[in-house]
Amino acid sequence: MRRNFLKGTAALGALAVLGGRWPAQAADAITMWHIFGAETEPGLKNIKRWNETQAQQIDQKFVPFGQLSQQLIKGIATGDVPDLITIDNPVVASFATQDALEDLSDLVRASRVIKADQYYAGSWGTTVWNGKQYAVPGEANTLALYYNADMFKAKGLDPDKPPRTWAELRHAAEVLTDKEKKVFGTAFCAIQSEEGTFQFLPFLQQSGANLKTLTSPDAVAALQLWTDFVTNGLASRDVLVKRQFEMTSSWLAGGSAMVISGPWELQRMKDVKFNWRVATLPRREGRDIEASALGGYVWGVPKGARNKEAAFKVIEFMSEPAQMQQAWSGGRLAPVKTLQVESPAMPEAYATFKKQMEVAKPRGPHPRWPEISAAMQTAIQEALTGRSPPDAALQKASRVINPILERTPMVGL
Amino acid sequence: MRKSLLVAVAAIVSGFYLFPVYWMYASALKVSDELNANPPTLIPHAPTLTAFRWIFERENVAQYLWNSLLLSSSVTVLTLLLATGAAYSLARVRSIWMDVMLIGVMLSQVLPPPLLVTPMFVIFRQIDLINTQLAVILATTTKTLPFAVVMLRTSFAQVPIDLEEAARVDGASRTLAFLRITLPLARVGYIVVGTLVFLLAYGEFVYPVSLLNKKALQPATVGLYGFVGADYSDWGNAMAFASVFVTPVIVIFMLLQRRIVSGLTAGALK
Amino acid sequence: MVGFTALYLAFFVGYPVVYNLIMSVQDVTLGNIRYLVRPFVGLDNYAKLIADPLFTMVLQNTLLFVIGNVALQFLGGLALALFFQQPFPGASFFRGLILAGWILPPLVIGAVWKWLLASDNGVINYALHSLGLTSGPIYWLSDPATSLIGVTMANVWFGVPFNMILLSAGLAGVPRDIYEAAALDGAGPVRRFFAITLPLLRPTIYALLALSTIYTMRAFDLIWTMTHGGPVDSSNIFPVWAYRLSFELFDFGGGAAVSTMMLVVVFIVALIYVRSVRAEQLS
Repeated sequence: MRRNFLKGTAALGALAVLGGRWPAQAADAITMWHIFGAETEPGLKNIKRWNETQAQQIDQKFVPFGQLSQQLIKGIATGDVPDLITIDNPVVASFATQDALEDLSDLVRASRVIKADQYYAGSWGTTVWNGKQYAVPGEANTLALYYNADMFKAKGLDPDKPPRTWAELRHAAEVLTDKEKKVFGTAFCAIQSEEGTFQFLPFLQQSGANLKTLTSPDAVAALQLWTDFVTNGLASRDVLVKRQFEMTSSWLAGGSAMVISGPWELQRMKDVKFNWRVATLPRREGRDIEASALGGYVWGVPKGARNKEAAFKVIEFMSEPAQMQQAWSGGRLAPVKTLQVESPAMPEAYATFKKQMEVAKPRGPHPRWPEISAAMQTAIQEALTGRSPPDAALQKASRVINPILERTPMVGL
Repeated sequence: MRKSLLVAVAAIVSGFYLFPVYWMYASALKVSDELNANPPTLIPHAPTLTAFRWIFERENVAQYLWNSLLLSSSVTVLTLLLATGAAYSLARVRSIWMDVMLIGVMLSQVLPPPLLVTPMFVIFRQIDLINTQLAVILATTTKTLPFAVVMLRTSFAQVPIDLEEAARVDGASRTLAFLRITLPLARVGYIVVGTLVFLLAYGEFVYPVSLLNKKALQPATVGLYGFVGADYSDWGNAMAFASVFVTPVIVIFMLLQRRIVSGLTAGALK
Repeated sequence: MVGFTALYLAFFVGYPVVYNLIMSVQDVTLGNIRYLVRPFVGLDNYAKLIADPLFTMVLQNTLLFVIGNVALQFLGGLALALFFQQPFPGASFFRGLILAGWILPPLVIGAVWKWLLASDNGVINYALHSLGLTSGPIYWLSDPATSLIGVTMANVWFGVPFNMILLSAGLAGVPRDIYEAAALDGAGPVRRFFAITLPLLRPTIYALLALSTIYTMRAFDLIWTMTHGGPVDSSNIFPVWAYRLSFELFDFGGGAAVSTMMLVVVFIVALIYVRSVRAEQLS
C-alpha cells in the first residue's frame, strides 16, 4: 500500500514540476504584484479590462498587504522583481533612495495621460524624491469623522452640526459616552504600526506643530487630546491594539458613537441600520489649520524590471479616467482632483471625502520614514498607556526624529 | 459510576478547551455586525450561510483544498522517508557527528520563516523549480524533517536493542532486523509524527506565498490571508473560509483517531 | 540513508543559516541585498542592537514568553495525557477532538483570541464579570502589563494538544506489566507516576521540551495578529523584532543579527538536549 502511495506521489510530484513550469510565452507578459484581494476590488476589474483589449497580457499575482514589503525585498534580493507593483505611499522614498525603483521621470514627462497638475499635491508629492519621479499615484484615501446621527439625537446633540473643533469633539464625546449601554463617545486607532501614525498626524498638524517641533506646547496639546480620550474613558483602551477597520467594526456594532476612519469603510455601510454621517475632521480652536491624512498605494516599477515601458503603459491605462472612475465603487478615491465620478453611490460621503482630500498631507516623503513613524508610534503608545506624560513621550520621540531630519530634510518641513 | 464521572469531566474539559474553535464556527455563521456586538453573543442570533456562499462563489475553494491536501500528503511522505534513516542512526549510533547532526537539526528550526525565504528562493531558482509545488514541498519538508527526526529517534530508542540483536543472531541482516522488528514496534511513533507533520504542512503559509506565483497552485492558507487586506479584513468570510479549511482535517482525523489511539493505548511490549 | 538526510538539511537549512549569519555582519541595504559581498561592519549591528533600549525589553519578554509557554504547555499536555490514558468510553474521541486546536492556522487563532480578549466586548471579560470575579474590564491586550499574558494564553492554548499527543505516545510506550508489578508491590498511583512513569518518559520529555522551546521562540504570526508586538513593545519578542527590523525599518543587518542571537539560544538548548540523549544512551 505504501509503495503504491509512493508511486502515486512521485507521479504527482513529476506532474507538478512539469505542469507548474511556466510556458515560454509568459516571458512576454507584464508581471504585476498587487494587493487587490477581494474580487470586488476595482483594481482587479481594471486588470481584466486591460487583458481583454491588449495583446500583451498582465500576469498578476495577489500579495497579501502585510507581505508586500517582504515579498518585494525578497524579489530585489533574488533579482526576481515584477514589472509593476503597488507600493504603500510612505515607503516610496525609502525604496527610491536604496535604488530599488526605476526612475520614471522621462516617461512621465512625455506622457499624455499623466499630468502632475491634475493630481492632489499631497498624492503627487509622495512619488517624487530628489527631483525625480519614482512612482505614479494609484489611489488615494484620507481620514474623516464618521458619526452615528441617531445617537446624536438621542443625547440631545444636533446631527446636522457635527463637532467642528477639538473642544466640540471633546464635548460631544463626553455627552455620547454611555457606560451603562457600553458606548464610547469616540474611537480612533493608536496601534503600534503605521496606522497609528497615520491617524495621529492630522491632529499633530492641526495643532500648529509638525515633526520638527514635537516638543512644542502645540504638539503636546494634540497628544494630550488623545490621551484624555483614553484616560477619561471616552474612547476604548483597545485603540492601542485594534486596527482602523476594527475600530470601525465596533462603531458599526454600536460600540462607539463616532469613529475616525477612511473611505474604504464605505463598502461596509450598505447594511448599516442606523443613520450615519461623515464630516471633515474637526480643527483645533484658535488655529485654522485643516489637515488630514493621506493614504493609498502608488504604482512603482522595480529596478531591473524586464518590461519597463510596457509596465508604464499599464500605469497610464490605470490612470485614465475610465479606470479611475472605478475606484469609488471600492471605497477609494482617485488621486486626481479633476476627476468627477458620475453619480457616485453615497454622494454626501463622496463630497466630504473629496473636500478632505484637498487638505490631505503626505507622510514624508522621507527615506527614513519607517524610523520616524516608529518613534511616533512609541510616543503615542507611551502617552496613551500612561507610561509617560505626553510631553516626555514627545521629547523622547524628537530625540530620535530630529537627528534624522537634520541629516536629510523632509520636503515641506 | 466512576466511568461516567470521567466522561463528564472529559466533556467539560474538552468543551472549555474547544471554545475558541466553536467561536470560529459561530463567527462564520454570524451577521457581520454581530461579530462586534457588545455584550458578545454566544449563539448567533440569526445564523446565516451568507459568508459560506460568498467564499464558494468568489474563491475556488475546492482547488485550494486540493492543493493543501497535495502539499501536506507529499510533505508527510517525504518527511517520514527521509527521517527514518537519520532517526534510526541517531538512536543506535553514538558519535560526535551524530551529536553535531542533532544540534544542526534543531538549529534549523529556529529561524523565522520570513528570513529563510530569500535564501530558499535563491536555491530553487538555481535548480529552476520556482513556481512549482515541488519547491514548496521541499521547502516545507525542511521545516518538518527536524521535528520528525527528533521524535522518531525517541521512538526508535525506546525499542530495546536486544530484540534487534536477537533477530540478527537468527541470521537476519541489519536492514531486515530493522524492518521486521524495530519498525513495527515504532508504529505508534510513526502514526503520531505522521499526523503532526501532516498538520504542520497543512498550515504552511510563508513558503507557498513566496515560491508560487500562480493562484491555481496555491494552498488554502494563502487563500485565507487574502481576506486580510490593506485597510480592511473580511473576518466573517475569513472565519467561514477557515471553517471550511479546518473541518475536513478534523473529520478525517476523527475518523482515523480510533486507529491512532488504539496504537497509543495498546501499551506495548509483551 | 543518514547521509542523504544530512545533505538535504545541510543544503536547504545550512545555506539559509550561513546566509543569515553573513548578513548580520554586513551593512545591508536594498541596493546591495542582491549581492553576497557587501560592506563588512564586524559586530556593529550587534552592538547597535544591544545598545538599543528595546533590547532589554525584548530579551525579557522573550524569556518570560518562552519559559511561561513551555512550562504551561507541558503541564497542560501532561495533565491531559494522563487523564486520557485512563480507560473510559469516549476517551479517544475527546482526545482527538482536542487536537482541533492545533489545526487552526495561527492567523485564525490570533483573530479569535483577539476577540475573546477584547477589553470591551470580549467573552472572557464578559464571563469573568458575570461570575462576579472582576468589577471592571481587564485590558488584556491593551495594557502593557498584561499583553504578554494575553498572547501567552493564546499560544499555550495552541501548543497544549501538541504536547498532549506526544506525551500520550510516550506514555503508551511504557509497558503495562511494570505498572502491574508495582501495583502488586503496593505502590500507589502517585508513587508509580514518579518512580516509573516519569523516568521512562524522560526521553520523550526532553525531546518535547527542546522542540517546544524552539517552536515557541519562533512564534510570530500569533503575536503579530494580536498586538503587533505592542503596546509599547510589551509583547515584542525576538522573532517579532527581527521582522520589524528587516521588513518595516529595512534594517536587514539588524534583523539578521537578532535572528543569529536566537540561533545562539537555540544552540544552547540543543546542546543540553544532545547531552541528555548521550546520558540516556549510556544508561
